[in-house]
Amino acid sequence: MKNFLGGAIAVLSAVAAFQLLGQAQQPTSPATGKDPALTPAQSTAPAGGSANADTKKGKGRGRGPARPQGPTPRLPDGHVDLSGVWNGGGPIGDVAQGLMQGETIEMTAEGKKIFESRESKDDPEANCLPTGIPRIAPYPWRIVQQANTHVFFLYEGNIHSFRQIFLNQSKHPDDPDPTWYGHSIGKWEGDTLVVDTIGFNDKFWFDFRGHPHSEQLHTIERYTRADLGTLENETTVIDPVMYAKPFKIKFTATLRPNEELMEYICQENQQDAQHLRGKAGLP
Amino acid sequence: MKITLAFLGLLAPVVPALAHHSFAAEYDSNKPVTISGTVSKVEWTNPHARFYIDVKDAGGKVTTWNFELASPNVLTRNGWRRNSLKVGDEVTVSGSMAKDGANLANARTVTLADGKKVFAGSANEGQ
Repeated sequence: MKNFLGGAIAVLSAVAAFQLLGQAQQPTSPATGKDPALTPAQSTAPAGGSANADTKKGKGRGRGPARPQGPTPRLPDGHVDLSGVWNGGGPIGDVAQGLMQGETIEMTAEGKKIFESRESKDDPEANCLPTGIPRIAPYPWRIVQQANTHVFFLYEGNIHSFRQIFLNQSKHPDDPDPTWYGHSIGKWEGDTLVVDTIGFNDKFWFDFRGHPHSEQLHTIERYTRADLGTLENETTVIDPVMYAKPFKIKFTATLRPNEELMEYICQENQQDAQHLRGKAGLP
Repeated sequence: MKITLAFLGLLAPVVPALAHHSFAAEYDSNKPVTISGTVSKVEWTNPHARFYIDVKDAGGKVTTWNFELASPNVLTRNGWRRNSLKVGDEVTVSGSMAKDGANLANARTVTLADGKKVFAGSANEGQ
């Protein structure tokens, strides 16, 4: 963490913010009949990655792919089935964008110092390292659920990795090695999967802005499949080293029913980090 | 072949977000660039597809420009293929220049000599 020293925080213009908002919904690709973003949900460029480039006047494609409708699926044992390919469900640009009503982020002095010193070139995601929790990359990801034993999150990008949640463990190891995804145990509270995670390293960022955390980070995620196409994720972030009090965020993922994950090896041709300039900030 | 560097500060900035890094940290949306040249290499690789074009100036000196595209995954989902752009193609590319002064830009539009656009929108839009 202390390697990331340097300036203040970049502020995105109102125009850019508007553009980002406008990019949250994406048109369906007529070429594939699929959702092009699965595409970087916020991407407008470069060419071909553009959600907006796909939106042409007169095409009448509306605001984006319809969220699949239908009842919440269940496993034979009655538990909710979270399986599927999802898009979204966590912070990308700024974790504060997901703050629940009445919630605020109050960094400690140490948290502020690190936050304000971070530079874009040091973002682990830009360097093809994992996004940790709760950050999500704008690529599709898949939940694979094994009743009563494991839930796996398979990430297409960034990076091409996986996370495992143990339904068959009731407590964390006493002194887990710090890792990018920590140690996660899950249990059902009614129709909500509650995932408790500790054992994080302090290397990943919560978002492009560089919100920090320490190895004391503790997250409690609550996943609720409200209906077929909607996965709600309420996460409580607890880290007394970097934040004066816990805060709760909520993001929603959308089912992409006809998609499959693709290979995405970020390290293969990463040329960007050495060209990044300036303070960490919104994309 | 030509290079046109237009600095249009009056235009509303376009600040796209890329998948794994900040667009604004790498490119200057207030420094649009349009370059014509010959494609010398195409890299259909993550995290971004790239292509390189050779641009010859009046004195015959060749400069190579590196253009960043979306990821192959995004391009593929939009219907494009790894051979949608080929070595030897004559193209005109518009995009935003890298902030650090490298011969590097983000490609927003790629137009072939016959006027057909590649990598913008989806492949079967008949552009």
